[in-house]
Amino acid sequence: MATQAQTLKKPEQDASTENRIQQLRALFADAPPVGKKALENALKELRSQASDLPPPIESAGRTGARLGKVSELTIIVPLAPGGAQRLRAFLKVLRGNLSQGANKVGTLHTMRFVFFDNDTRLLFATSYDGDWDTYIDDFVTKIPDYLDIIDSAWDGWPGIRDPGAKDYLAKHQITADGWYVAHPDLTVAEQARLMRIGKAVDEFLDKMNG
Amino acid sequence: MSVEEEIREHLSTRTPMLELSDIQATILRQRPAPYFGAHVLLRVDDARAGRKALARLTPHVASAAGWWNAKNAWLSVGISYAGLEAIGLPQDSLQSFPDAFRVGMAARARQLGDQGLNDPKHWDKTYGQGQAHIAVSAFSDSEEKRRRALEIAREQYDGLPGVSVVAKQDFGAQPGDLNPLGYKDGIDQPAVEGSGVDPLPAWGRPIKAGEFILGYPGEAGVPLPMPQPDILARNGTYVGLRKYQSRVGAFNRFLHANGRTEEERELLAAKLVGRWRSGAPLTLAPDVDNPALGADAHRNNVFDYSKDPRGRQAPLGCHIRRMNPRDTELTRLTDVNLHRLIRRGTTYGPPYDANALSEADDEVPRGAIFLFISAKAMATMEFLQQEWINDGDFIGVGNERDPIIGLQEDGAVFTIPREPVRRRVHGIETFNVLRGGEYFFMPSLTALKWLAGSDG
Repeated sequence: MATQAQTLKKPEQDASTENRIQQLRALFADAPPVGKKALENALKELRSQASDLPPPIESAGRTGARLGKVSELTIIVPLAPGGAQRLRAFLKVLRGNLSQGANKVGTLHTMRFVFFDNDTRLLFATSYDGDWDTYIDDFVTKIPDYLDIIDSAWDGWPGIRDPGAKDYLAKHQITADGWYVAHPDLTVAEQARLMRIGKAVDEFLDKMNG
Repeated sequence: MSVEEEIREHLSTRTPMLELSDIQATILRQRPAPYFGAHVLLRVDDARAGRKALARLTPHVASAAGWWNAKNAWLSVGISYAGLEAIGLPQDSLQSFPDAFRVGMAARARQLGDQGLNDPKHWDKTYGQGQAHIAVSAFSDSEEKRRRALEIAREQYDGLPGVSVVAKQDFGAQPGDLNPLGYKDGIDQPAVEGSGVDPLPAWGRPIKAGEFILGYPGEAGVPLPMPQPDILARNGTYVGLRKYQSRVGAFNRFLHANGRTEEERELLAAKLVGRWRSGAPLTLAPDVDNPALGADAHRNNVFDYSKDPRGRQAPLGCHIRRMNPRDTELTRLTDVNLHRLIRRGTTYGPPYDANALSEADDEVPRGAIFLFISAKAMATMEFLQQEWINDGDFIGVGNERDPIIGLQEDGAVFTIPREPVRRRVHGIETFNVLRGGEYFFMPSLTALKWLAGSDG
């Protein structure tokens, strides 16, 4: 898995853009008619989007993709016997909203827990600020119990204090091939700072008018 | 009260938990005041000769037993990954060292944010080339003792074919032990649990020894990963050496551009660091300097930020608040005790000159060589460089960087919170430029003997 992140490189220049489009068209030649027609309709716009290079997606450290300051993490993991029930009951206590704990972490934009395959597997997806392992050691000393409550639902979880915990997470993480962030430079902390400034500016302007 | 006096007043009645007589002194012993010393970097071209040099040096390397007494000069020895290779450490042992240590500091420039002015391609030739194999450092409290300590060190490697000196840098001897920008520094050091001294008022909670010395439990309750075999790792640690050149002219020009009077300039200089040049913290002396407080080890580090959450005394982005946020509310879940380094700052070159204003003054070779010591020094230095030095998001100041050791981008600013409105100072430059760096392993005395004796 770790090598997947390294294959995410800056898109190459225009010559290969056209190659990629031709590859795409070749694959769509066998697509259902609606798909094939849709591609032809969108082709002109797609070509101009593809040649207008977006900021590069980088690796988020050990695994995952990062755009600007915001990274993605997707884990698909088999559940331990009874794990789905336990984790679901835990989420229910918080009515499915982990905001108090997540606010404390301070780098989490979103988190989702999706049970599937008849409660035998879990998809956990989050977007967060920074690199994969920058704060992992801090989690180990600051919130080990919450991590172990959640992750002990996962089959084979060694425990967050185990030296193998990072390897376990990396092994079950799948790097995204597509990753979009509206404001790649806006960390959770920066959003809070800008909101504070916006409020202060409004108050200041109100006073000027008053 | 001096630091040594303060420490000796707090000697623990309990036996130290750490094996002090096996641990190198420099890990626990602070530099004396005044201090005189030198770093000597050796290159090894013949494994047997390299081991011989180690065997000869080892009896002169000071242990940390009685580390609070620094009457005599002492030597420390560190070995880089290239050095471990050069003295013929077996492959399986070499491969047990962490990746960042193995590739070296220059190869981790991306993770350390050592780009632009700090890019390894601009470093002094000695550094980042795999040339520095063994680092010998001498510390003492007088010029005469330094000379003798270096003479003893030299006798151990001189004349060994295949061992050569690639660099020698004298340090210390600045009046008042001020750093190159004119501040008293090195005040705040993490307290290491079990080192034989009860926590001083100035120290805060002692940190688990395993964070700084291999083989003991760390803050998470378990020892950190160790290289193999155990005899090599236990009681050893890692040292990140970084050589900075201080651009004293640029620093002074910045102070003059933003302060009309001497008082304004000194206040601005204090706001950048969080302490007056005397060492007095802004938190305890917010408006005017208090040199007596700065000089008193019993008081100059006894504070937290509970009364100053917004940084109106010590700005949120100031140097000491970044390097040890204490109880500052950070934007991210952070265990501030996991990101501390023991540091031994060693100033070289002519002392700070407040009248140095020209660009030529920026090129005068003066600055500091830091030894950053931790059982995970590589990871901690990367964390600090990325999060606490070259960013401000963690403490709520956006993209601002550490005003003293940060690598500044064009248009950099520094925010000084004030009532009713903050002041934003423009024109911050990179005041300390990185001129080189290396990682060293600082083995225990047992491990030094083991390394020296593995003759094959």
